[in-house]
Amino acid sequence: MRAPEYQGSFLGRISIRRNQVMSMEGNHDQELEDLELFQRHIADRFADLLSPQLQTLSEESPSSTAADPLLSISWLRKLLDVFLCCEAEFKAMLIMGRDPSQITKPPLDRLIPEMLDRAVKALDICNAVTNGIETVRHCQKLAEIAVTALDQKPFGDGQVKRAKKALSSLMMAMVGEDKEGSNYSRSWSFGRRSGGAAANHKDRGHLHLRSHTWSISKNWSAAKQIQAMTANLQAPRGGEASGLPSPVYIMSTVIAFVMWTMVAAIPCQERNGLGMHFPVPKQLVWAQSMIALHEKIGEEWKKKEKKGSVGLLDEMQRLERSAQSLIEFADSFQFPAEEERVEEVASQVAEVAETCQKMADGLVPLQLQLREVFHRIVRSRTEILDVLDSTGKVSAPII
Amino acid sequence: MEKNLAPPQDSNSFSRKDNNKAGHAGPESSQAVNVKSDSGGEAEVPSDSDMSLSQAVEEVDRLIQRLSSAKGGDHDHDHEPLPSEVPKSVDFLYNAVDSMVTKYEHKENPPRLGLNHNDDVLFFDSMNRISKLKNSFHRFPSDSVFASSLNKATIVVHRSMSFLEEEYRTILEICKRKIVLEQKTPKTPKQMASLGSDRCMLPEAECNEDDLEFPSFSAEAIATMSKISTVMIAVGYERECCLLYSALRRNAFNEELNELGFDNVSFDEVQRMQWESLELDIATWINAFKHCYVDLFSAERRLTGAVFPDHPSVSRNLYSDLAAAVIVRFLNFSDAVVMTKRSAEKLFKFLDIFETLRDLLPHIKDSNSYSSDCQEVLIDEVSQAKTRIGEAAASIFSELENSIKKDQGRTPVPSGQVHPLTRYTMNYLKYAIEYKDTLEQVFKQVQETEGYCGSTGLEPHKSNTLTTTAITGQDDGGSDKSPFSIQLMTVMDLLDANLDMKSKLYRDPALRYIFLMNNGRYILQKIKSTTEIRELMGPNWCRKRSSDLRQYHKNYQRETWSRVLQSMSPEGLMVNGKVVKPLLKERFKNFNSLFEEIHRTQSTWVVSDEQLQSELRVSISAVVIPAYRCFLGRFRQHLESGRQFEKYIKYQPEDIETFIEELFDGNPTSMQKRR
Repeated sequence: MRAPEYQGSFLGRISIRRNQVMSMEGNHDQELEDLELFQRHIADRFADLLSPQLQTLSEESPSSTAADPLLSISWLRKLLDVFLCCEAEFKAMLIMGRDPSQITKPPLDRLIPEMLDRAVKALDICNAVTNGIETVRHCQKLAEIAVTALDQKPFGDGQVKRAKKALSSLMMAMVGEDKEGSNYSRSWSFGRRSGGAAANHKDRGHLHLRSHTWSISKNWSAAKQIQAMTANLQAPRGGEASGLPSPVYIMSTVIAFVMWTMVAAIPCQERNGLGMHFPVPKQLVWAQSMIALHEKIGEEWKKKEKKGSVGLLDEMQRLERSAQSLIEFADSFQFPAEEERVEEVASQVAEVAETCQKMADGLVPLQLQLREVFHRIVRSRTEILDVLDSTGKVSAPII
Repeated sequence: MEKNLAPPQDSNSFSRKDNNKAGHAGPESSQAVNVKSDSGGEAEVPSDSDMSLSQAVEEVDRLIQRLSSAKGGDHDHDHEPLPSEVPKSVDFLYNAVDSMVTKYEHKENPPRLGLNHNDDVLFFDSMNRISKLKNSFHRFPSDSVFASSLNKATIVVHRSMSFLEEEYRTILEICKRKIVLEQKTPKTPKQMASLGSDRCMLPEAECNEDDLEFPSFSAEAIATMSKISTVMIAVGYERECCLLYSALRRNAFNEELNELGFDNVSFDEVQRMQWESLELDIATWINAFKHCYVDLFSAERRLTGAVFPDHPSVSRNLYSDLAAAVIVRFLNFSDAVVMTKRSAEKLFKFLDIFETLRDLLPHIKDSNSYSSDCQEVLIDEVSQAKTRIGEAAASIFSELENSIKKDQGRTPVPSGQVHPLTRYTMNYLKYAIEYKDTLEQVFKQVQETEGYCGSTGLEPHKSNTLTTTAITGQDDGGSDKSPFSIQLMTVMDLLDANLDMKSKLYRDPALRYIFLMNNGRYILQKIKSTTEIRELMGPNWCRKRSSDLRQYHKNYQRETWSRVLQSMSPEGLMVNGKVVKPLLKERFKNFNSLFEEIHRTQSTWVVSDEQLQSELRVSISAVVIPAYRCFLGRFRQHLESGRQFEKYIKYQPEDIETFIEELFDGNPTSMQKRR
């Protein structure tokens, strides 16, 4: 990625400048220049996130074998990278070498606490998504069972049953996702011979157990948190647009967008009503790609939401499609399998295996990266609060 | 342990030898179970041919051996040629296993394993045969003679595995349910061990401590689970096995945490919580977390090890994942707490959290229970959380400095008493010192990270009070001072400076010194009574403070009593050897009024430290009374004869002594009234 390069130079630029000009007045032009640069970086980075998708659409290969399809694990990792870069630049703009009194003046005395509140909500979302990644990993493992079962030739009835059991659990995990959070035991219980009332009773026990072990907290809703993050988000107008309120607004938009995207992609606690109102004026140049991405993902979400979807993660969508057709295959299977079917299934299994491999390679790094985002948000919030605190302290010498 | 993966040549005698070796031998196991081969009845025990299971097994073992020595379908002529068809014994074995599963499933309540040892041994051993056979078949092309038998094998294997999963799940869940049950009606271990159909009844029983342990599995249950895990992994169902195990253990563990009172709370909620309720949650968090890493984790590790005895890396991964998930859950809470608004009353709870995390670290670092990457991540996560709470605690502590600086009240404390700021600061320090070692670590850590941040130049704003005071603090202490003692010095210096400023609010210089003495004394007493602070401040500091106090005392004496002494000066009283009476009368009157005035004001002053009070009185008496006695002795004769003698010589030395005893009591007494 090109981003780190940007970042280095940007940070360097700001720190050098700030070291030279410590006075709070008279550097308005440079502030403007910084802001412009910041906006350009935002625009470029999100354009990069948008572009691979456009290429696959316009070019001849519709199978979208492009490196990072929209909402794939690797794409999400890029998204988080973008977030980290933007965040570093933003913090540099906001506090590096700045006279703290500047960020306590109205309207920043309102905007910054609002932003910090968004940061707290983002942390909960990070955790919810981390839990969600566990669910994705669970699905990956179920898919891997199917791959293992169907990798052995000739297909025997037992293997096909084994694959079907795993895939049914997978589908169950995907469909039942939002209602109970990720639900290991329940999804796994699918496919077992129901032992009548006793077994049902047991299942209910799990549901109950589930609902309070994996949640962020009772009644927590990812969708509501996202809504709260964008509720008071307003583009600065007039003179404010060229001052510090602007980067604060931009960064708040970025964090809301990134969190929204993560929630849309990865299973999360309570996503009803996630279709986000994204209050970004269309004329803002830096936001063009972000708005385009938002529309694209929003449409996808609308399509899937009704079905009760596990999320828009590309790999999960692929698994879902393959699982459906493999289950159909299993339902109609009779030993010995017909040659054609075997080949057909083998190629599907290979596809599932490939997706599983992507998940196996990508989920841990994604999770670690998400943790990095988490830590970064925590740290930045502390640093900003420290700066705010330092202005509140009486440092006058005692007579 | 059963030799599930025993090479073929070892497994030719199924029933007896193998079992003896495995230590499972019972007299019954040598009895060949006469399972008649009948391809028709699946659910029934086959009842046709006169083949016994042990014969079938022997044949199957021979087959496996022959297949394994043949290479990938190539007929190796050095060995027996491959059979042109699958021997009957194979089908016999399939049917036997199938009917065993049916028999198990007909039992009323799970778990159905562990009731009849010999049945179980037969079942697991037969499963292993089939698994090996299946693997051998797989090495031949799909169109070989073995294909259809292989298909049957997969069916039997899958059916058996599904049954075992069910069993596994039941056993894993029983532990959970047992805990729930026992909270209402405890069961004896025996009743629990025979996990039979009486499971759902609640017999009266005495409460057994061991019973409530977590995880509570009977030795039988663990043995059964271990057999199931081993066979599932051997047959290639490792994923299912691990998935089930980890999901159910996670649930059980989380439930256990909930039992301990630890619930998930979102960051958002924590920020909005009242401190009083958050404080309770922190206490719960500490207890639950400590219980986890001191007891539960090792128990969990043992359990996982026992359930996967032959697969140390599997059990390590399972345990690592579980422990990591639990630890991260706990860390979220401490991270959320760190982010709450900082205030002085939170210091000690924050330090408690810091200690909890600090004590956790060696449990992870020195453990070989974790997979290495997991261990690394966990150490990093815990260290980060610890750093954060430490920074917060340090910043709260340094907030004390700010509150001292900010205390700029313009109203002096009446009567020169100990200022509330002094009490607050000293009591705060007294409590803080109970966390001396922890605070020492906290400030050391802050020093280190600040040094680090300073070198990266990323945080110019961090040069807050902490670092500046650390530098100034070093002036009087030398470089061997610990970070916390430097902090302490800084606080004391600030308090001194502040008290000095406050003392100037008194217009009466004598009262100013009383105030300084009162506060100085209070501080010194507090420090002397707390060994840790005394040691941190060092003997020099204490000596310096004592000499300051003596100086205040002297100054007070000078301010108050030098005029009194002057009033008793004999100077100028004698003219030509005769006493000038009016002058003498004037001297006495002057003394009386001075003393009365001092008594009037200074008996309202307060010196609450009894020792200091008595020291003051003693020293005043020592100066005033001899002088008065002397003055009186020398001049009383000149007035005794005159009228209004009592007007001039109002007080006897004893009276003076009594009045001095009334000083600094805070009681506005009039000398007139008392007389």
